[in-house]
Amino acid sequence: MSPAVLTGSLRKEFKLGWGRGRVLAVEGLDLEVKRGEVFGLLGPNGSGKSTAMKMILGLLRPTAGQAEVCGFRAGTLAARKQIGFLPENPYFPAFLSGAELVSYYGKLCGMGGKRLEARVQELLALVRLGGEAGQRPLRTYSKGMLQRAGLAGALVSDPEIVMLDEPTAGVDPAGSREIRDLIRELKQRGKTVIFSSHLLEQVEDVADRVIILHRGQKLREGRLEDLLTQTTEWQVRARGLREDRRKELHAWLVQQGAEIMQEGFPRERLEDFFLRSLPEKERR
Amino acid sequence: MSESWRRIRAVAGNTFLEAVRQKVFAVMLIFGLVFLGGANYFADFSFQEQFKFLKDLGYATISLTGLLVGLLGAAQLIPAEIERRTILTALCRPLRRWEFVLGKYLGLAALLGAMLMIMALMFWVVLRWKEAQLMGTEGSDTAVAQAIQAEARDPRLWQAFVLMAAKLFVISAIAVFFSTLATSTTFVVAMTLMVVFIGHLQSVAREQWLESGETLGWILKMFLAAVALLVPDFNLYNLIDEIVAGNVVYWRATLEVAAYSITYVLVLLMAAAWLFEGRDL
Repeated sequence: MSPAVLTGSLRKEFKLGWGRGRVLAVEGLDLEVKRGEVFGLLGPNGSGKSTAMKMILGLLRPTAGQAEVCGFRAGTLAARKQIGFLPENPYFPAFLSGAELVSYYGKLCGMGGKRLEARVQELLALVRLGGEAGQRPLRTYSKGMLQRAGLAGALVSDPEIVMLDEPTAGVDPAGSREIRDLIRELKQRGKTVIFSSHLLEQVEDVADRVIILHRGQKLREGRLEDLLTQTTEWQVRARGLREDRRKELHAWLVQQGAEIMQEGFPRERLEDFFLRSLPEKERR
Repeated sequence: MSESWRRIRAVAGNTFLEAVRQKVFAVMLIFGLVFLGGANYFADFSFQEQFKFLKDLGYATISLTGLLVGLLGAAQLIPAEIERRTILTALCRPLRRWEFVLGKYLGLAALLGAMLMIMALMFWVVLRWKEAQLMGTEGSDTAVAQAIQAEARDPRLWQAFVLMAAKLFVISAIAVFFSTLATSTTFVVAMTLMVVFIGHLQSVAREQWLESGETLGWILKMFLAAVALLVPDFNLYNLIDEIVAGNVVYWRATLEVAAYSITYVLVLLMAAAWLFEGRDL
């Protein structure tokens, strides 16, 4: 089976016009995203993440190289049928309601009739915009609600691949957690998820594999487990150990020649603490 | 229904809905309707002069309102979508770019058509209202009554509307053409108005080109040929003035102008789609 996305020596230069030269956005990008995996594109602003995504979607034409989506040349109708996309900071047509937005995107995918109506309701329920919320104009939505409506729109045609460009940018912690939960759910359903972010903790939470881009070039690529596991160190997290036993354990480790690099009570992540502090119904 | 047509219809429907829900277009329509209704109160001359005044003002109001809606609407069709990035969420789907351009144009054309129909209906009501007024004051004489009815129920009214619609559809297509190249609404409006202005001089350029012989240099001849071939001849729509002046304009001539306009619209939309195809978003 062909990979979800395959690129070879992908390159993009932007002409600045009026003889001001060119800007190199992506240089020689080789990439393979397998079907069913969650793939993270990492890198600082201007590293070429969005440009690479747009070339895969066919919104930008590569200066050189090629890209394929599920075996189809990127940008063709067949390739675009495989992808649902949520751009960075999307501004949806504010005059539409959430339900109208998802329905509009469904029609653009050639859907219609009862099948589309049912799909719209299903997706609005999935992103928690069912009922009255789905009928409100988008201009009354919060940033998180807009992002969720956009996600529903990206999923409307039940695509094989879901591409999310900075999906948690500007979203509060609860909304951000929700989007990550949704990414996990999509993976469980067998979808391929490609997303970009510069919030590393969030990527770490959900990605199977990542690529790190810098000034348009690939710095590192691999499975998170392989990239992050430090095989020269060992870590134990225990519960129910008395004070005197801890001291004993410390002394024994030193005796064994170990260098104690960190010791003490573990800290909860601020995000987990924040979410735990919220009323239960607002955590999701 | 083919998938392609379904997608075009979705884009057109969304464009129409957006325009309808935007207050600015509703305000323009209301302004036009109020002006049309108010035109009935301006005239205080002989009944022939009153009808002439009414038709002059009516056609001018409809034409100006239609021009504002068509020009401003078409100018922001694509630049506004690019600026708001809503175009990314549309074109990342299995939607061809020419389908997008065509859908956008058809949505605007539907809006213009609806506006023209509403204003034409209002104009018809105003004319019948004027007829009732004049019949009350001057209709005792049979000859005068017949003349009033002939003025108020002039079937050339519909010819004028066909010509007006054709002209507005061509102007909108020119604006759509420029909007596929530009990122600024101001640029699109300026370029479109310039082409419309040149279009009024097009017949002069054509005559110069065809009749110049060896008297003009080849650069000037090429320029005149380009103007004559590429820019629509807006003088053709002066038939509207003939109708207002009470002169006979045959339906055949009206339909020929309509066919000429459709040809230009198709050529402009094909060129717009071709240019838009290669554009990075």
